[in-house]
Amino acid sequence: MHDVMQVKDLSKTFKARAGDVVAVDKVNFEARKGEVTVIVGPSGSGKTTLLYLIGSLESPDDGEIHIFGEDIASTGADLIAYRRKRVGFVFQFFNLISALTALENVTLPMDLQSVPTSEQHVTAMELLDRMGIDARLQKAKANKMSGGEKQRVAIARAMANNPDIILADEPTGNLDSTTGRMVVDILVKLARNDGKCVIIVTHDEDILEVADRAFHMMDGKLAPHRKDGSTPS
Amino acid sequence: MRSIKRGFKSFRRHPLGNLIVVLLLFVCLTFSLSMLVVKLAADSQVENIKQTVGNYGEVRVSSDYILEMFEQELDKGERQRQREARSMSEEEQVADRARFLLPEEVADAFSRQDHIITYDKIQNAGIIILNATNSELAPLAPYATDEELARNGIEGLTTQTLGNLFVFEGNTDGSSASDFLNGSKKLVEGSFFTYRDYLENNRVALVEKNMAEDNELEIGDSVEAVIVGGDRNNRTMEIEIIGIYETLEAERESESILDYNPAGNKLFAPLPVVQELNGTPGFVELGSYYFDNVDQTATLRGAFSQEVAEGDKYEFLSDYEDYEKISEPLERVGKTSTIGLFGALGACALIILLAMAIIISGRTRELGVLKAIGAKDRQVVLQYAAEVICICLVSVILATGATVLISQRIGDWLLSGSAQNEAGEEEAKAYTGNYLSDRKLYKEGGLYSTAVEEDDDVNLNVIYQGDLLIYGILILFGISLLGMAVPVIWITRLRPARVLSME
Repeated sequence: MHDVMQVKDLSKTFKARAGDVVAVDKVNFEARKGEVTVIVGPSGSGKTTLLYLIGSLESPDDGEIHIFGEDIASTGADLIAYRRKRVGFVFQFFNLISALTALENVTLPMDLQSVPTSEQHVTAMELLDRMGIDARLQKAKANKMSGGEKQRVAIARAMANNPDIILADEPTGNLDSTTGRMVVDILVKLARNDGKCVIIVTHDEDILEVADRAFHMMDGKLAPHRKDGSTPS
Repeated sequence: MRSIKRGFKSFRRHPLGNLIVVLLLFVCLTFSLSMLVVKLAADSQVENIKQTVGNYGEVRVSSDYILEMFEQELDKGERQRQREARSMSEEEQVADRARFLLPEEVADAFSRQDHIITYDKIQNAGIIILNATNSELAPLAPYATDEELARNGIEGLTTQTLGNLFVFEGNTDGSSASDFLNGSKKLVEGSFFTYRDYLENNRVALVEKNMAEDNELEIGDSVEAVIVGGDRNNRTMEIEIIGIYETLEAERESESILDYNPAGNKLFAPLPVVQELNGTPGFVELGSYYFDNVDQTATLRGAFSQEVAEGDKYEFLSDYEDYEKISEPLERVGKTSTIGLFGALGACALIILLAMAIIISGRTRELGVLKAIGAKDRQVVLQYAAEVICICLVSVILATGATVLISQRIGDWLLSGSAQNEAGEEEAKAYTGNYLSDRKLYKEGGLYSTAVEEDDDVNLNVIYQGDLLIYGILILFGISLLGMAVPVIWITRLRPARVLSME
């Protein structure tokens, strides 16, 4: 398998009244196609910031993020195209547009790419079917759905433009354990069956079970996760 | 295009919120547009008035000068006046008769001022006609004495001739006499004398219908008028009747007294005929001028003061006050509506800014999601711009319709308020009125007019022209741009990472 992503010496510091907060401190790691990479850590450890840096929602202070060899952290990188084609986001709070139906939420990323409407609908329906959202639910407004349904629609939306990388931020954080398990299974299938590079950040160590690569994050520093649960020095 | 389509869809998806904004905007826009059309109508009417009222002026001997002359005469005493009159040469007699008249060349010279469109010269004179009776004055003869008449009346008038006294009005074209122009008199038979009659000094005249009937005069008949100051060889003038007119106002007023006609003593004749009859060749009572519009009044006044006035001997009078009387309420309405317009537009601006701020802040997460999934700022801005335009467009369309329904009422209401203010001011002014400066203008019928003075109500006619549509589009454009400012600022500054993590 090939490396999809290489992160080198990535750093991000936020200014705060109490002083600078180092959210990500010289992080290095790699992720590959067809693999699930899980980053665990407690709240405030910097894992979400790391995910947003990888997804280009935040800009790093220092370091490199190579996606298929191209450094998206460098000045001049086309971040919009990157966000559209290379990555798909899954958030803890789903972040669906509540006034839109499930189908419309999924077609939205394609619409922004000017994909023909008929093609948008076919793709979106296929994706939603795969996520177990039936035709009736597809036409329901997002705010009428349960958490599990919302998260499955969110995964379908993340897949809409067939990205290489799926970035999931606490995807089970707002779900009960059964539904959470179902969502994790979907993400795993996306890696295994569709060859996506799936990166999950979570505080739920149970998800480590499905990880091909596991990292532990603490105070902005990233280290390989040890199966015995000990924190590397 | 897709962004715009998304904007339209978004507008439909938030009916309640958008409806509230549309309603608020609708109220303010209706008020704005109504104020706008009222202002446009008022301005347009003032411009039209400028072409028809206030653009008339006349030059004549001033009231002050006349008063001064009277005072001098009074100081002399009756004996001295009679002695002076007896010793006057023929030229001095002419000058004496013409002392309250304007030299014709002065009237002609002033007509060459820029902006003057048409002009006329007028002279009125009391003339005795030997073969006609004035049914108005004849019954008064027994109550007068020759001495009284000689002291107060027209030269040569006696109790025998009082019933033969008529007023002659001379000008350059019969049809342009003010009585015919203002509709108080109307030609019913024959024809007017023309400019050619004026140039050729043709001895023709128009007589009043009742006078013609009383004296059995018909078209083609002649009357014999006495020339003032004429000698033995040239004592009377034969004048042919070429037209008969009727006095409309007098008829209306005299419904119950069929044979009473207060205007039956007036004849209209070419100016040189009246000048010769009155023994004042080369003089006129006044020069009457129409100019481009009221805005030239000051320029003409300036030219008059420099070139004609001769101190305070002559005066330039105009119907500027009439213009002010009509235009002032309209101008007030214009000013009030301008204030209303800007106030309402300000409210519109505030509403759209606040509404968009509320709408956008309520959709921060949506904006963050759009940016996170790869929407360019331009796409998001376009989407919201389309939504703002929809809100504004619906509001403007509804407001335009409502404007058509209510703006006339608003205009009438503003005008009535303005007229009430003016009435109060008029009342205050009434005590300071100067009788001599209130001499009636020739245009209004002059000294001998029987026309009834009408206090015409000023109306405001709100007419919906293309202007309303253009201004509606401009307002739509303006408030839409303003409304878009909020999303533009918000969207370009929004960092999706900040909002996506929020619960």
